Amino acid sequence: MIWLTWRQHRKQALFAAAGLAVIALYLIPTGLAMHHKFNGSGLAACLDKLGNAQFLPAGTQDCTVQAQQFADQYKAVDIVSSLFIFLPLLVGLFWGAPLVAREIEHGTHRLVWTQGVSRRHWALVKFGLIGGATLVVSAVYAFGLTWWMDPLRRATGGGRLTVGAFDVQGVAPIGYTLFAVGLGIFAGTVWRRALPSMAVTLVGFLVLRIALTVWARPRYLPALTLDYPLQDALQHNMARGDWVQSTGIRDGAGKLILANGQMSCRPGVSDCGQDLASGAHNWQLFQPGSRFWLFQGIETGIFVALAVLLLYFALQRIRRIA
Amino acid sequence: MEAAPETVLETENLGKRFGKTWALRDCSLRLPAGRIAALVGPNGAGKSTLLHLAVGLLRPDAGAVRVFGQSPYDNTPVLADIGFVAQDTPLYADFTAAELVTMGAKLNRRRWDNLLARNRLAQLGIPPDKPVGKLSGGQRAQVALALALAKRPRLLLLDEPVASLDPLARREFLQSLMGSVADSGTTVLLSSHLLADLERVCDYLIVLHAAQVQLVGPIDDLVAEHRQLIGPRHDQEPIGGVASIIRASHTDRQSTLLVRTNGPINDPVWSVREVSLEDLILAYLADGEALGSHSAWGVPA
Repeated sequence: MIWLTWRQHRKQALFAAAGLAVIALYLIPTGLAMHHKFNGSGLAACLDKLGNAQFLPAGTQDCTVQAQQFADQYKAVDIVSSLFIFLPLLVGLFWGAPLVAREIEHGTHRLVWTQGVSRRHWALVKFGLIGGATLVVSAVYAFGLTWWMDPLRRATGGGRLTVGAFDVQGVAPIGYTLFAVGLGIFAGTVWRRALPSMAVTLVGFLVLRIALTVWARPRYLPALTLDYPLQDALQHNMARGDWVQSTGIRDGAGKLILANGQMSCRPGVSDCGQDLASGAHNWQLFQPGSRFWLFQGIETGIFVALAVLLLYFALQRIRRIA
Repeated sequence: MEAAPETVLETENLGKRFGKTWALRDCSLRLPAGRIAALVGPNGAGKSTLLHLAVGLLRPDAGAVRVFGQSPYDNTPVLADIGFVAQDTPLYADFTAAELVTMGAKLNRRRWDNLLARNRLAQLGIPPDKPVGKLSGGQRAQVALALALAKRPRLLLLDEPVASLDPLARREFLQSLMGSVADSGTTVLLSSHLLADLERVCDYLIVLHAAQVQLVGPIDDLVAEHRQLIGPRHDQEPIGGVASIIRASHTDRQSTLLVRTNGPINDPVWSVREVSLEDLILAYLADGEALGSHSAWGVPA
């Protein structure tokens, strides 16, 4: 069975290896250049010094200027990084969807399921080996991208939790990839043809990923609120990497009087916020950057659980296909 | 007194339904060991369904199917005793014949005759290192047969093995099949909608029509117990020695009957003729219900 799986899928393995090599050819030089610049320009040291306080003491040299320079220089690289969101989908389309569907489409399931190996055994070996290969490939690109993105995410200050950055770093891409492959395999047992199975995988993956990103991820843990005065020109600490979900100005009773805005006055301005309601203050709703790994764990757990569930259903369906 | 031969394949009120349509219904038959059996019926009669049930690809919705006394569904030990060549002889098109033989060995660790497969393919001049997708239809069928035979099966099931082959390849395929099962005592069940292919090689007959078994038995017995009667116009009255009338056609004064006999027919008004196997099968196939779809087409019946 292991020999058969390798013989059947070695071309796909070869394409995946070639794809990873091409990606590495881009990531390694640009990544090394970014790390070099990030450390060499003093930006890394500057950000390290900021610590983890919510606000910086007045007059602190925050690294905005250097960070802006860095971000501008690697703007193009930042755009490329968002393309890697689709890597898990590709694995699901080309490894997952054809796994069962192509056998049925070509009738070869009648050949292989009538030999001296049970369907269950066939399915478990295939799922195991393809799943294992998926795990290896996705871990390689997930950790590669995490290393590569590190200077960019720290310099841009948006934090690792923001949409786009969260999705290509840490362990979440492994969960997405396993899910895409599970979905592809399951779709193949239902639609039984490679092309419709790929279409279903494409749509299903995108719908679930978008739905979870938009509806679930901001709510994995209750967001924190922060109230702070209009005066004193408080400086946010960009090194915290907080994911700010909503901002505004509220009055003394807590009523929102201005949505999507913040206000700060220079020190010494006496009539700061005089024209606003009494007790007016800045307000923000945010997920602290320190929750990154917790959120990664939750999201990865959800997708891995779904992948396992889909493979279980696929196994049940395979027993009834003729 | 000879002992009754072992039953290899047995079905009991077997039924399989796809959606609301029964693809096979109330199918009861026994296939004794050592027979070369033809499974005959028009397209859509349920031949593939019966074979898929026998090889455990499908699970029955009604009744039971037993191969060597066991249900073949999800039963790997029984599958090891069955060689199966599916319709259109599916093979992994990018594998070479040699790789397919390796695959057979890996998937059948219990029993696999590597030498048999290699000898067969060598004799037939199949190139070992060419992807089987690039071989001719006849060669692919031979590769599929070699894989099935290398399992050293006690029962060999072939689903329309020659349907897509030209007449020459057809003859060669059947000859090589007969050559290899003749001395091994393997029981063979092969389906076809073309009787002419099977008449030469088979000694047992199963006729399927409209999802039901119409006729089962050794070909010699079946031919011996059917007769064609020609005589005056016949109106349902019983005829001595006739068990049942399979098919009747009438002109104004004359009737032609194909009957199953249970004794000698001595009534002198009937002239009695022997029937050919082909006449016999056609009579049973014409017997099924008329399949009209006039209402669906919106035309008068």
